[in-house]
Amino acid sequence: MLDDLILGMAGAGGDGVVSAGESLLSAASSEGYHALMTKSFGSQIRGGESSCRVRLSTKKVLNPGGALDVMVALNWEDFFKFGAELPLSVNTVLIYEEKAGPPPETLAARGVVPKELVPVGITELTKKSAGSDKAKTSVVLGLLSGWFGIPSEAITRGLKKKFGNKGEGLLEANEKALAVGIDYAKAHPLQAPHVIAKPAGTPGSKMLCDGNDMCAAGALFAGVKFFGGYPITPSTEVMQTLTREIWKYGGTVLQCEDEIAGLGATVGASFAGKKSMSATSGPGMDLKTEILGLATIAELPLVLLNVQRGGPSTGLPTKPEQGDLFQAAFSGHGDVLRPVLAPTDVEDTFRTTVECFNIAEQFQTPVILLSDQEIAQRKEAVDLIDTSKMEIIERRVPTEAELAAKPYARFALTESGVSPITHPGLKGGTYLAAGIEHNEKGDPTSSGAMHAKMNAKRFRKLEPLKKRADLFEVQGNPNAALGLIAWGSTAGVAREAVQLAKAEGHDVKLLVPYLLYPIAEQVYANFFESLKHGLIVELSHQGQLYRILRMFTEVPKGVRSFTRDGANPFQPIELVKTLVELKGLPS
Amino acid sequence: MNAPLFQAKDYKSELKPIWCPGCGDFGVLQGLYRALSAIGRPPHEVAFISGIGCSSRIPGYTTAYGFNTVHGRSLPIAQGVKLANPELLVVIAGGDGDGFSIGGGHVAHAVRRNIDLTYLVMDNQVYGLTKGQLSPTSPKGLETVTSPLGSLEDPINPLLYMLAYGAGFVAQATPADMPGMSALIEEAIRYPGFSFVNIQSPCVTFGEDEQQLKAHKGKMKTLASLGHDSTNQLAAMDLARAYGKELYTGVFYKNPNPPPTYESLVKLRQAEQSKKARARHQILEAYLQK
Repeated sequence: MLDDLILGMAGAGGDGVVSAGESLLSAASSEGYHALMTKSFGSQIRGGESSCRVRLSTKKVLNPGGALDVMVALNWEDFFKFGAELPLSVNTVLIYEEKAGPPPETLAARGVVPKELVPVGITELTKKSAGSDKAKTSVVLGLLSGWFGIPSEAITRGLKKKFGNKGEGLLEANEKALAVGIDYAKAHPLQAPHVIAKPAGTPGSKMLCDGNDMCAAGALFAGVKFFGGYPITPSTEVMQTLTREIWKYGGTVLQCEDEIAGLGATVGASFAGKKSMSATSGPGMDLKTEILGLATIAELPLVLLNVQRGGPSTGLPTKPEQGDLFQAAFSGHGDVLRPVLAPTDVEDTFRTTVECFNIAEQFQTPVILLSDQEIAQRKEAVDLIDTSKMEIIERRVPTEAELAAKPYARFALTESGVSPITHPGLKGGTYLAAGIEHNEKGDPTSSGAMHAKMNAKRFRKLEPLKKRADLFEVQGNPNAALGLIAWGSTAGVAREAVQLAKAEGHDVKLLVPYLLYPIAEQVYANFFESLKHGLIVELSHQGQLYRILRMFTEVPKGVRSFTRDGANPFQPIELVKTLVELKGLPS
Repeated sequence: MNAPLFQAKDYKSELKPIWCPGCGDFGVLQGLYRALSAIGRPPHEVAFISGIGCSSRIPGYTTAYGFNTVHGRSLPIAQGVKLANPELLVVIAGGDGDGFSIGGGHVAHAVRRNIDLTYLVMDNQVYGLTKGQLSPTSPKGLETVTSPLGSLEDPINPLLYMLAYGAGFVAQATPADMPGMSALIEEAIRYPGFSFVNIQSPCVTFGEDEQQLKAHKGKMKTLASLGHDSTNQLAAMDLARAYGKELYTGVFYKNPNPPPTYESLVKLRQAEQSKKARARHQILEAYLQK
């Protein structure tokens, strides 16, 4: 019995492989499995190639995993469009549509040919059972259920949910196709069985969601009252969810005419005293930069989500990349310090979103929530998050009595750097918010002396963030000579790599920063102290965190940048191999 | 008659305007104080939003809340303010370059959403703050530092734009007629929906002679004196075509049946949807997979 199973499917856009993956995921999660699904398409609106990966486990799933245990190819051409996203090993069970013919030579050219190749007349079986080839993926689901032990009752429940209201005929056809798939699998056993064990969790206890869902839910939980945005892949789902939900909680969503207006309306709502957010991806970040500077100098709280995709420009709109860290930390003119936080998985996106709102409101600053396409759009079955102990920070607004006691200075040069903030409607608290430099009262100034004081204040107020141990995950033996640093979606790969390394007898420690900027120098200095060798793992060409760390910290010589360009995901095992190779080298 | 709750001076801040002596914006500011006094909302319930430019300095010269934002973005920012707190009186002030050049893309959308905002454009046909460049309302042929051989472009017609986008209240004023201008600003603020007043506010330093207040006095004609019916949108458009040639003042168009504002529709939606709210700690249960 296996406790972990990684499946991949690829086909043409209309084949429904993503939808089949979703059915599988839904079935698995309702049974109590931990599960994770990533999908990958060309950027066509309809048609083109599409694929998905589903990882089922009896334990928490840390990342999409490495080489596939099972691959279903509905045709070869579309399968080959997904290189590193659908990696095979000799142990992969490669199931393919019989009429597509045996694997072409391209497969061998990619390096690995699986031992077990299983041609199935999927289209034939579908036509025979369902009467048309529309229910192809239900046959596939049947095969997967029969061969790998995924409970068919749960799949049937999923089919009912999906097709139940689309006419009796469709549901029946899919149910028949499923049954045929199951029977076929039973009649044609695999050489090596790959049956997954029953999950320990109670059925019905798992949430099924993606990172964008958890961002929207986190925002609602934190009490967001305004969202201004503009549709952009791969962040749009956050606006879509909020515009369904926010009214229930007394809030408003404004779909604006452009990215600039989206963040403009958001900063306006924050000025008016409300918890506000916007969401976008790289190209939108470019356009929003000027308003971000305004929010920094006017010291107005807001949260801006950037779901990173491949760049520059339109780049790879549907694929992940960790190429926007420089932008998040440094974009915009002037001396600016603004917090950047990154969630590391779907579940974590909830917590990190709430954290961003807390930091924004507490320190009166825009905060960048730096997610990426993989986290944002991968669906996961995870345990329900316990929110009972989660703290929510509200903006500290002076009372009218406090305001009446002494003249109000919106930008008072306090020791902490945080000044009392009012909002329109509050008696005694009127002031001028502005993009222009100002004195303590808020009146415009061009004094160099005052500018220096205000800059110092705006930097000083964020210092406490660097001391927040809960914004960093440090795992493993503090004296380990080997270490990994990873952030965002890459963190999940690093977490699994640490486990694999441990199983192989290597002592590897791990640092995952949730707070990416400002750089907490001491946290890194402590981590580096025992390291002889280490990798800073990033899905980008340059390795942007590595380069920022070299600006702010003393990175030991043995710690190197380990990068790959976007849309070419890492596998946990390669991190382990690379570390082990390094181990033998002098530091 | 009772004395007003707030006098014009109650809206005046201690900050001294940076404008050149004789600038039209002084008059606009005075007219604004008067209009606010007539309306009588306390300064802390008023928010002035502006972009960048000479006229965009206005928020700082009032005792109300102010947000002097970035170039061209006052309209979306003001919409966020008003939607976050519909109880506020929100006025946007800016120039022709701020509103119709760098911020031009926002105008149509601000109008079509019909949020109860009042947009005052101080139109001086030139960029004053950056010292005299061509603006989107500069007349064709105008010689400026960025058009030393004369402008090759036709100007934008702000009045016709606003009418075509469907604004419910469109007027034009000049500080040369102080009582008329402050009455128009007041009427615009009172209009329940998006309202626009184009104020011909001369640039005393870089403007042409015929655009100065003195010239306005001889040139201006009230729309009332022409017998214009301000509920007639087509007639309003016809008269608005004279922008740049004639100086008509008064209300071009005022929708006699103002449609519901965006924020009133939001309020209805919130009331209806609030029944479906989950307790904070149950929000995530929506994602449970049964």
